Amino acid sequence: MIIDVNAHLGHYPFRRLRFTGASTMIEHMDSHGITAAVVTSLHSVFYRDAHRGNEELFHECRKFPGRLIPVATVNPTYAGWQRDLEQSVREWQTKAIGLFPSYHNYSLTDQHGQSVLRSAAEHNLPVVLTQRLEDRRQRHPWDQAEDISIEELSELAMAHPSVRFSLRNWSGLDGGQLLAAKLRGRCLIEFSRLQVLVSKDVPKLISTLGVDSIAFGSHMPFDYVGPSLVKLANLATLPAGDCEKIAWKNAAAFFQLDDVTGARPPQ
Amino acid sequence: MRKFDAHNHVWDDVHLQNADWTSVDNLIEAADVLGIEKLFCSRPITKGVMADIQAVRSANDSVLAAMKRQPERLFGYCFVQPGNGKAALDEIERCLAAGMVGVKLYNQFKYTDPAVFPIAERCIDRRIPILGHSGYLTDPTASAAQPNISNALEFCGLSSRYPELILILGHINGGGDWEWAIKALRECPNVYLDTSGSVQEDDTIGLCVRELGHQRILFATDLLMEGGVGKILAAELTGQQREDILWRNFQSVLDRRAA
Repeated sequence: MIIDVNAHLGHYPFRRLRFTGASTMIEHMDSHGITAAVVTSLHSVFYRDAHRGNEELFHECRKFPGRLIPVATVNPTYAGWQRDLEQSVREWQTKAIGLFPSYHNYSLTDQHGQSVLRSAAEHNLPVVLTQRLEDRRQRHPWDQAEDISIEELSELAMAHPSVRFSLRNWSGLDGGQLLAAKLRGRCLIEFSRLQVLVSKDVPKLISTLGVDSIAFGSHMPFDYVGPSLVKLANLATLPAGDCEKIAWKNAAAFFQLDDVTGARPPQ
Repeated sequence: MRKFDAHNHVWDDVHLQNADWTSVDNLIEAADVLGIEKLFCSRPITKGVMADIQAVRSANDSVLAAMKRQPERLFGYCFVQPGNGKAALDEIERCLAAGMVGVKLYNQFKYTDPAVFPIAERCIDRRIPILGHSGYLTDPTASAAQPNISNALEFCGLSSRYPELILILGHINGGGDWEWAIKALRECPNVYLDTSGSVQEDDTIGLCVRELGHQRILFATDLLMEGGVGKILAAELTGQQREDILWRNFQSVLDRRAA
């Protein structure tokens, strides 16, 4: 079984993506042996009102229970975001809160960022932080977003010691820095932009933060799934239990996915 | 299935006494795991530096040392800077005599600059490929850091002047607008491209094949070895197309020298 913790649904304004709806995403997952995926809405990133994207996302994912695990995106600069978050938690049982600070024009360390982090702590929900959606060197002129930095992450982690973080599409993660920010045991790092071989990013993070901190992720539908499948295969030298943790068990525990274990594996 | 990695690197001073071979050993270890039979490596001088010829020779010496340590696995491109003039041409001869198989250009000069022409003419004479660093950088900061990086249209400019030149556009996924680059390459049928780079965006390989035909596409990783292999395995290709991209196309490039 594989749970992909880095996936999106919806259109991206600057490039055509091939798998934008729930049905096409499920077909794509089946063709690569992915059992379930934790997904955020790209529409929530680009709509003025992120919650309208959440409505679409939860509606779409309901068609594939246990396969697509929706995560609500919160824009803490928008009117009424706390009430919208309540709806995501109470009605839709969101498993986490997705934040895209640069796209929503705030900083994780300003009053908006601090406020939403406090809400995450109150709801005991992990926060999903995507370092970037795509490489900045190919940015569209209207794409002014910047990557989230490890320094910003460290500051947040220290200021909100009970919040857990799902780190998607990150590179350049220094295990020592994450350890110093007391993130051991409360972060889940997926490896779509990390290497198992050559620079050995993943083995280094395992040795610093423990195998429970690593998860499978592909950044689909932006990226090919193949690279992450190759990385998972290259982790086969780990003890069998550890491989299974990375493939799905860590994700299931982190996001408290009780229903995914009963999901029908792809044929 | 055989795999030839057409774009890789040796970055450390492994030609010096008491060298640390860890990075080269890690490269070979990864190639073993991923089933990559041959790796074609260079060591360009980066960060906008226009170095003197001694530094260029030293960089090439590190590749030659790695080739000597792994003679069945590692092969070399000779890095040169067109601004070094005749010394650059002499360096090509030195590297070929020592067993290298091509030339690597970086971003010291745009490939439409006349300073590049003698290098191109020498490569035509020797029937060897030029692998060129490339990018169509739309981010102002990235672009300012590499003012002389060549984009796909500039590759086309050089190829139009020298249709018989074997020119490879390096790392289609190495940063920059790769869709723009593929469209630009439609107009210059003699330019190959390699598939390497840190970007692993879905359908890159498919778009290359649809727009350019699979025989111009060369598998490569540029040290991002799992991603490089993974995207070829994940791309929708026929068995024949995949095999051609993974090794046969580049073998045909290498065979031109023997011919």
